[in-house]
Amino acid sequence: MADQMILRIKNLHVSIEDTEILRGLDLEIKAGETHALMGRNGSGKSTLANVLMGHPAYEITDGTIEFLGEDLTEMEPWERARAGLFLSFQYPQAVPGLQVGNFLRKSVQAIRGENAPGARDFRAELNAAMEELDVDKQFLGRYVNDGFSGGEKKRFEILQLLLSKPTLSVLDETDSGLDIDALQTVSKGINAAATDETGCLIITHYQRILDHVKPSHVHIMIDGKFVKTGGADLAIQVEEKGYEWLNPDTN
Amino acid sequence: MAYSELEMPERADHLWRYTPWHRIHPNGELSDVPEAQGAVLELRSLDGSTEPAGVTLEVATEEDIQRLCLSGKEDVSTQFIQAMTQGNIVVLRVARKAKPSQPVLLNIECTGEVCALHLLLDVGELAEVELITRLSGDADWTGFLRQGIFGNASHVNDVVINHIGEGRLLRTDGIHLGRDAQVRGGTVGSGGASRCKADLRYIMEKEGASLKVNGSILTLDGMHNDHHVEILHLAPETYSRLDWHSACSGKSRTIGTGMLRIEAGAKGADAGQLFHNLLLSKYAEADSIPELEVSENDVVGCGHGTANGPVDDDQMFYLSTRGFNETEARDVLVAAFLNATLTEMGSTVLHQHLLKTLTQDLAVEL
Repeated sequence: MADQMILRIKNLHVSIEDTEILRGLDLEIKAGETHALMGRNGSGKSTLANVLMGHPAYEITDGTIEFLGEDLTEMEPWERARAGLFLSFQYPQAVPGLQVGNFLRKSVQAIRGENAPGARDFRAELNAAMEELDVDKQFLGRYVNDGFSGGEKKRFEILQLLLSKPTLSVLDETDSGLDIDALQTVSKGINAAATDETGCLIITHYQRILDHVKPSHVHIMIDGKFVKTGGADLAIQVEEKGYEWLNPDTN
Repeated sequence: MAYSELEMPERADHLWRYTPWHRIHPNGELSDVPEAQGAVLELRSLDGSTEPAGVTLEVATEEDIQRLCLSGKEDVSTQFIQAMTQGNIVVLRVARKAKPSQPVLLNIECTGEVCALHLLLDVGELAEVELITRLSGDADWTGFLRQGIFGNASHVNDVVINHIGEGRLLRTDGIHLGRDAQVRGGTVGSGGASRCKADLRYIMEKEGASLKVNGSILTLDGMHNDHHVEILHLAPETYSRLDWHSACSGKSRTIGTGMLRIEAGAKGADAGQLFHNLLLSKYAEADSIPELEVSENDVVGCGHGTANGPVDDDQMFYLSTRGFNETEARDVLVAAFLNATLTEMGSTVLHQHLLKTLTQDLAVEL
């Protein structure tokens, strides 16, 4: 179902505690597209990710967000997840006492609803996804993100991505803190989750992950606005030249 | 000193500050020692498949009483329960070097208006045992006193589950740890008695003893749950950790007081205590008061802390992004919070049993 509109953001303004972070964003993601969002620390990238997922700390002061034709802003975070939106967190929460295996099974049941696999099929999917990401089976007996290394946390986020089968995945700095091997493994998982019916928004500081996950569009954000949009080569330019040449306030 | 000779405790006492003696005494008439019904005891291995090898339940002999009733000679609750149960004392004995293949389950059924049990624990040297003591029944008032010795180099995981109906529970422990004994002491209550006062004392009088004490407590409705845990380091190179998790809902109140004493001469002692309280309603109340008394300069460490708060917003958001609605996320987080200390209480088999009990009580899968 290529070309189907998955996400349409119009004139999005977002504040937190009366400070405006996003200042008029427009973005469209269609099925089959992978968008990369780059920008300095504090430019508003993670704010966009959190707003898409419905974090209660952020207030949308203007604009609209449509997901598969529905008004996303009226949905609770869990409704967004069940509708097919997935956020891979930059800093995933630890939940001591909650076992990974049981958490995954319940989460998949909740998100995929009637389409959730039965016990045997779930095990098969889980085994395949763990193999894809080179995750040891002992992982299932540990507690969610409790004592995980940075790399393990990111692998676990991508494991959830593979099992949740979302229509749109938002990956918030999934590449940060990964070594070269882990980056390749995680990228393999991201690519495995992508189909011509899904979209992906990758938020990153570095062009490096885009060597493995090819973006169709690259957006540069400065001070809560997109200042430039282009193809994959834009990310390479930013890697070489930094962000200053794109800053409308200094050029 | 007999109960009748003891001075009644003042509310100013650290031990009785939150649950005064007259509030937990069976009828509030402090001089009265009511006649008590005995409890019904059943001892078996956890899965029931075998007899617990090397573990017996017997009527205590005079020699047992002399050797094992070491604690609480001037404590009101110890002497009160002793007065109620005099001549009717049971000893759970684990033979020297015994190593049952399964955790051992001691079921204690408490019925009647007033029910009391005095249990002695006699764990032999080098024994390795996991003991689950499950209190249940519909007694209006239950008194449960445990005293004993975990012998030299024994490994003991000792868990008490409070599954009593809606009555009141007075529980008192006085456990002495032998040289190099490795002990985990767990207290579990997801529901249980409407009013509970527990005074748990561990005495590390021999070098090299190691102790981990964990609590996993859920209070509901108008419950009042008061646990005092006292750990005494008397000998060098002794180690203890206390990690206590309480989740309070409704109009319930939970109290955790800790007393960590390191006596002069306990060189190289290493001790710490931590109380975590999860407040699930604006009417629930949690009080945690960890206290330290350190009389030895040459210690590895001695710390304490307490943390109270509602369910974590960031954890709630994380679970909601994974498809859990608000109720589901909250239920899972409460269960996880309680499970975090259950995990520390013993082997995988023991933990699975405790987890099953918890998830049944909470009607939550975890």
